Amino acid sequence: MKNDRVLRWCARSYARLLSVLRGRDREERQAIRDDGARLLASAHTQGHLTLAATWVALVWDLLVVGARHDLKQALRSLVRAPAVTVGMSVLLGLGVAATTTLFAFVDAVLLRPLPYDQPDRLVMIWEGNASQHRLREGPSPGNVLDWVGRNDAFEAITASMRVSATLRARDGGTPLTGAHVTRGFFDVYRRQPWLGRTFQADEYDGAVSMTSRLPAHGEPVVVLSHQLWQALGADPQLVGETVDLEGRHRRVLGVMPADFAVPDAEAKFWAPWDIRESYRGPRFPDGPPRDFRFLRVAGRMRAGLSIQGAEARMRTLASDLEAEHPETNAGWSVQLFPLADEIARSSRLELLIVFSAMFCLLLLLCANVASLAIARGVSRTREIAIRLALGAGGSRIRRQLIAESALSAIVTIGIALLLTAWSVGVAVSLAPDGIPRLHEVAMNARVVSFAALLAVFVVGIGSAVPTLRASRPQIAGALRDGAAISASTSGRLRARLVVAEIAAAVLLLVGAGLLARTYAELRRVDVGFDRSNLLVVRVTPDASRYRTNAQTIEYYRQVLDSLRTVPAIASVAAVTALPMSTIGADFDRPYWPEDARPEGPRAGQASIRMATPEYFGTLGRAVIAGREFTDRDAFGAPRVVVVNEELATMAWGTENPIGRRLILDYQQGPYPYEVVGIVRDARYKGPRSEAAPEIFIPHAQNPYLVMNVIARTTTDPLAVAQTARAAVLRVAPDQPVHSITTMDRLLGDAVQQDRFSLLLISLFAVAGLVTAAAGVYALLAYLVVQRRREIALRMALGASPRRVATSIVVESLVLASVGGTIGIVGAAVGARFARTLLFGVAPEDPVTFVTAVAVLLLVVLAASWLPARRAALINPARAMKS
Amino acid sequence: MPDRPRPVDPLLPLKPKALHILLAVADGPRHGYGIMQEVAERTDGQVRLWPTALYGLLRELERLDLIAESAKRPAAEEDDERRRYFALTPRGKRVLDAEVRRLTAIVSHARASRALRKPHRA
Repeated sequence: MKNDRVLRWCARSYARLLSVLRGRDREERQAIRDDGARLLASAHTQGHLTLAATWVALVWDLLVVGARHDLKQALRSLVRAPAVTVGMSVLLGLGVAATTTLFAFVDAVLLRPLPYDQPDRLVMIWEGNASQHRLREGPSPGNVLDWVGRNDAFEAITASMRVSATLRARDGGTPLTGAHVTRGFFDVYRRQPWLGRTFQADEYDGAVSMTSRLPAHGEPVVVLSHQLWQALGADPQLVGETVDLEGRHRRVLGVMPADFAVPDAEAKFWAPWDIRESYRGPRFPDGPPRDFRFLRVAGRMRAGLSIQGAEARMRTLASDLEAEHPETNAGWSVQLFPLADEIARSSRLELLIVFSAMFCLLLLLCANVASLAIARGVSRTREIAIRLALGAGGSRIRRQLIAESALSAIVTIGIALLLTAWSVGVAVSLAPDGIPRLHEVAMNARVVSFAALLAVFVVGIGSAVPTLRASRPQIAGALRDGAAISASTSGRLRARLVVAEIAAAVLLLVGAGLLARTYAELRRVDVGFDRSNLLVVRVTPDASRYRTNAQTIEYYRQVLDSLRTVPAIASVAAVTALPMSTIGADFDRPYWPEDARPEGPRAGQASIRMATPEYFGTLGRAVIAGREFTDRDAFGAPRVVVVNEELATMAWGTENPIGRRLILDYQQGPYPYEVVGIVRDARYKGPRSEAAPEIFIPHAQNPYLVMNVIARTTTDPLAVAQTARAAVLRVAPDQPVHSITTMDRLLGDAVQQDRFSLLLISLFAVAGLVTAAAGVYALLAYLVVQRRREIALRMALGASPRRVATSIVVESLVLASVGGTIGIVGAAVGARFARTLLFGVAPEDPVTFVTAVAVLLLVVLAASWLPARRAALINPARAMKS
Repeated sequence: MPDRPRPVDPLLPLKPKALHILLAVADGPRHGYGIMQEVAERTDGQVRLWPTALYGLLRELERLDLIAESAKRPAAEEDDERRRYFALTPRGKRVLDAEVRRLTAIVSHARASRALRKPHRA
């Protein structure tokens, strides 16, 4: 039954397509239609495949063989005017290639579904507390366990935690980033391994974190990323073998596919993790903590459940937990976000802005090409009019023009595809690391179809429409000398196009200006410490080797001492969480001043950081009052803390906090610490971030294993890097350095995406300006030629050359003011949407707007200079004669 | 003026598809669809003519006076009244003969070639 419908549809469509062959007589068309229908019917009796093949052959026969004559004609006219046609196609091809390249990014990052089964059922789960203005906090282990056990909205919920570990092979150690994942991880993402298998339920039980000093139960296992597997030699036999990861042999169970990037593309391995196991013992009498919010939690919703529905159910559960554990959960609820949005979140706005800017530029290009096509159309009006007058059918000419456009579309598509294939690779290698799903950006069927459709579209507006307009000339008017009528109407159309070009150029200029000022501000902003000459050595010793606090303290004492012997190093120190560094523990805990215990659970939260003596001096972070840590603040000595200005003001207002005591709810429960110093605020997470309350604890009083060691150097820090690495390795040759960098680089990385956006938009702005200038120039030059006689007449009647030139310049200024106004209004609206991208500059920043307009006016004036000069140099006598 | 036969050489060699059409109508008038079927049958489906290409070629062959619309039609029960039947013209017959002679010469030349006779040279 269904097949009959297909057959009928084929036959009907074929009959419709036949109208393309209008040139043939009716009888012949009838014969073609009947025979086609018969062929389809007889093929139909031989099955789907034959029918499909016949249908394809018929359409090809009709469109390609049948239209050959028109194509031949088009080719002939292409050869006749190669420079113009090919030039237009190349220009459009370039524009389409650039836009398609950006589309490849937009597609991979924003549009394409995630590479997991039914990805719309995947959500990220956060905790949020509206009354404390803390939203999107990583859930706490205790709450996650209750969610897993008690929710009725999810098929599976999994928590993960990033981990840095050292992979040891014969040629030394390599620091890697991976993830600890709880039971259900592979059920949430539902991705089959590429090799081997993933974890079975019992393999999660009792698995402690890699960096934990707790003993593990059972054999440690791991699943590798495709990338790591390839780095290890791409040997399928590796599955079942063991790798030495973080000082322990772990059996490789499987390898995930290359596009499995959870939580991000940095993750090189996944290890099972049992939350309960990590929070056992006397330190956690109540089991896994609920006020320790740092996990990354994802879930797969039950089929048929909307995200709102799932959120409602989870909120009910959250309020149950709130009632059961008011001391930790009061005010805390649950927020759900689609996983795809979460992943794209960081670069959605940038991508869309860059893409729209490119689209803007492409339209500019179309406008210019359209302008060219109109000019060409005008010159062809006479040719077409003559052919019409000689009896050529209107449809005949239209078909030829369509064939010409089709040909230039094919050339454009060809150029666009070739260029895109090359530029996608280049763009991926240049793109900042922060772009999610970057590894999925590639030339694929969607990108190719986008390029083809876009090419057809731009050829349509850039050349086909203007050409077709020209194909309807009034014969009598067009044949009259000068073709005055159509020339003046097309002049108006071109003027409008130039106005649009100017508007788009202003838009791009303002965008580039705002981003340039943002970037300058980001580089200039005071981060709260001295960024120059600061070497950062990240060290991640094996937990299995340094099991006790004493061992850890001793290791770092030796490392710092060893570094002090390097001549170019003035001072060294270490800290858990360094500004901008992704390595090292960083978490928040509740605190309150000793004499002001808050009502209920309304304690403020502060970031807890462990630092060695001399840390603030080395970092160049000013100690405003009191002192920094010294060697006397040792294990067992009275507990002291250093706080930042923000916390001091929040806790004690204007009073002096030095010598006061602060209660910190950390580890063994609330415990008092004496404030011995106050340091300046710092922008921890990059120039855009604001200061948050901080509490520093002497590293010796609370040792941590993974630290950022910093060294203030007297010369270029990178020149000292190798000596510093050797100094660290001297202490323990088998404990590799995770990475060495400089603070300047870390800060540079933090604004890398800003720099990339600025670079792109600036390129677009320059291209837009050039395009607009070319448009203004071409239009004015054309008008001067058109009005040659009029100008000559005016000069003959006494107008001075200067006056003639001025009139041309005024013409350009009219265009600029109309286009400029439209552009400024557009930019003012657009900048508001892009507000979050800006820093230290208002979206309506007058300096930027005035500069953009001034630049535009200068360029327009420059573009009108040559045509004006040409007008002024017209020889009236000769012009009147011609 | 007597109708002197025009030379046929400039038309040779024929396009393969044109040759197939002439062969298909050599035995008697056929309509378009019949030609398609005949050609497909003779060549075991190796050569397929599709309607647009076919009628384009028919028109060209008509213009060259190699075929003509035929008034002679098959027996009433087989006739499809709406269709145009095409038949070989005398000139078409001469061109076909000449083409076949040309091809035969090539084939016999090929047969005489040692290379083809002994394909398995050591």
